[in-house]
Amino acid sequence: MISRIQSIDFVGNWKIWFTVSGVFFVIGLVAILLGNLNFGLDFRGGSQFTATNAQTQLTEGELREALPQDIRQDAQIQSLGQNGYDVRTPVVSEAEASDIRDAMSGALDAEISTTNISPSFGEQIRNDALGAVAASLLVIILFITLRYEFVFAMAAMAALTHDIVLTTGFYAIVGREVSLVTVVAILTILGYSVYDTIIVFDRIRENTPEVGYNRRRFNEMVNQSIRQVVRRSIYTTISTLIPVTALLIFGVAALADFAFALLVGIAAGAYSSIFIASPVLALLKVWQAKRAKEREAKEAANPTSP
Amino acid sequence: MNSLRNNLIILGLVVVLIGVAAYLIFLRQPVSEATQLGLDLEGGVRVQMEGFREDGGEVTTEEMARAIEVIRDRVDSLGVTEPEIRQQGADQALVDIPGLTDTEQAVEVIGRTAQLYFYEVLAIDQEQAAGPEEAEEVREELREDLRGDSEFEEGETQIIFGEQRDPGVEGIFVTGYIVSEDPDMTGEALNNAILTRDETGRLGVQMDLTNEGGRQFFELSRDISQNALASGQPDSGQLAIVLDEEVVSAPVVSEPISGGQVIIENRSNPQGLPQDEAEELEVVLQTGALPVNMEILSTQTIGPTLGADSLRSGLTAAAVGFGLVLLFLLFIYRALGVVSAIALFVYAFLLWGLIVAIPVTMTLPGIAGIVLSIGVAVDANIVIFERVKEEVRKGKTPRTAVRLGYEKGFRAILDGNATTLITAFILFALASAQVRGFAVLLALGVMLSMLTAVVVTRALLGVVASRNFQLSPAMMGVSKKSISAAQREVK
Repeated sequence: MISRIQSIDFVGNWKIWFTVSGVFFVIGLVAILLGNLNFGLDFRGGSQFTATNAQTQLTEGELREALPQDIRQDAQIQSLGQNGYDVRTPVVSEAEASDIRDAMSGALDAEISTTNISPSFGEQIRNDALGAVAASLLVIILFITLRYEFVFAMAAMAALTHDIVLTTGFYAIVGREVSLVTVVAILTILGYSVYDTIIVFDRIRENTPEVGYNRRRFNEMVNQSIRQVVRRSIYTTISTLIPVTALLIFGVAALADFAFALLVGIAAGAYSSIFIASPVLALLKVWQAKRAKEREAKEAANPTSP
Repeated sequence: MNSLRNNLIILGLVVVLIGVAAYLIFLRQPVSEATQLGLDLEGGVRVQMEGFREDGGEVTTEEMARAIEVIRDRVDSLGVTEPEIRQQGADQALVDIPGLTDTEQAVEVIGRTAQLYFYEVLAIDQEQAAGPEEAEEVREELREDLRGDSEFEEGETQIIFGEQRDPGVEGIFVTGYIVSEDPDMTGEALNNAILTRDETGRLGVQMDLTNEGGRQFFELSRDISQNALASGQPDSGQLAIVLDEEVVSAPVVSEPISGGQVIIENRSNPQGLPQDEAEELEVVLQTGALPVNMEILSTQTIGPTLGADSLRSGLTAAAVGFGLVLLFLLFIYRALGVVSAIALFVYAFLLWGLIVAIPVTMTLPGIAGIVLSIGVAVDANIVIFERVKEEVRKGKTPRTAVRLGYEKGFRAILDGNATTLITAFILFALASAQVRGFAVLLALGVMLSMLTAVVVTRALLGVVASRNFQLSPAMMGVSKKSISAAQREVK
């Protein structure tokens, strides 16, 4: 299996990889732009009541009847497993929330946990989250440019954008709720994907000969570098996805949400560090060399110019 | 030989660290109390607030810090254990109260501005409303009526309201009061407040005034009673006690009052003030007003069962993930896998020790951070071991291969971990409190894993190698076939 992957021409077949990713990318982007992202309580504001350990089993309809009259119509009710229920309402006052909680605990004989978020706070959380993602991207560009070269940073950005759009797009398509936890997961994916890419880049840097750039030689060297690290990429992806899958299976709602986003993102990140970042780097190098050549040709044509 | 001694010193240090961690976790206190649990795992009430001004002006960090001091006093007077109150940014506060289950009560006590004013009542009007919804309309009606009153003068006076529910009577009595624009006295005159019962057992809150406040109150009550006398209606002068722009009590003042004591009460109810309302009043009056108003951003109650469920599920996920990763390592790397498995155990134990020592409050996002950092810790070994195997395939002796693997692999690990740390720090700096636990544990985990996955495994392998214990390629999970394939490629 791994030896078969190692015989792939990673750089030469870039059109295939870009097409595959491009299709997913466009589908994801369209789903996001169509407004299919299902923003949760954290971003919109509202109230959530979670009943655990209910001693009385009710149908969703019966539970709705038990809620205070004025909130009955707007409530979204969902059962969670055997004796858990989840009720969501638009923003309510503390007093109303108290009434709803009392009504639920009375009807279900359960422990009720509540979350109440004001819409203005939701907006603030969203801005903070976007700011954190933007800041991370900037710092990562800076870091890679310092440790490697600017073209490496650009190639890594291509891979990161790919991962973020794919993960977010996947959320838009399956309609899973986007919460604060999802944003944390995306930031984590960002870190992981860069890590993966850096492992490949580090090998490319190590293998780069002292002599000048030559397209065929550079591309073959990139291929060679990927072959050397691909086994590590696969093993690391497996060893990371094992605990993430455990979180998805055993974790409560918030943990499972987090794990779901990571599952998609880490898989996308492992793919992009090999099939996107490296070919993009090779292509950028070609472009860079072409520009340098043109400049030389220009200078050769006007030897008098300073 | 020298390197052997170095390796033994490193391993000795690790053993000492494990000893320290074991002491901190198991011996210093019962193990069940070692780890500080966050609100989401323990259960309790969390309130997030933002300070604001009526006039829309900026709230300064210092004002917020003072507000937090007042909030701390109020929370303490609720008699709960280990509340946590933190300032976030310039104008936000996060209050965690373990063990509480009622957000309404918490918000009433901690979020209330509690601005106390005393006014002489110039005119009143009262009407009955059927319920809370109608009360708003009634207020508007009363406002219209009172604006027509001869006592009302735009800019000089204002209209404030109070509501009262009488037992046995349906509906709410809404009263509108005309008072002067500036209060005659403020909460600064207050020294203390305590619950009290009058001769018939009605509950009220007695406010003790300062010396200066007592003098002011004497003059105010004298003015009120004399003004009533002058208008030809003795015993009709009223004092309005106003808390946060609602009239909480409006007693009739028939004579000057000395002694510096004022009681907030409800004379129409034989019980007096409701118990919980009186207690809330007592707390907010005792602790004084907040320097800024508070907007409630979010409230959360987590039941103890839900918290325990979360903890159990998080620990199960961590344990299962940990176990499967160990199996995976042993399967892929054989003897090397044993070494990294030992390192992983050391990692897990030392991380626990760190969490207890610092101490880091464990939260649900924190558990996610730990689970994720297991992946990071293992990756460092995978990067190095793959490098070692590569060198073995090239025909290097296992001993040289191990040395080269660590040297070459370390740079990649350092760069990779640096990016993970960068994201963790940005998360910590920019994200809200709920996310910080994740960032802290991810960062701790990444740094600790550099020690265990690189330094400890290297020392272990070094000691093993020096004992004339030969690692064969097969013991590292390198097949003969792949060696010959690699050698062919080189030729």
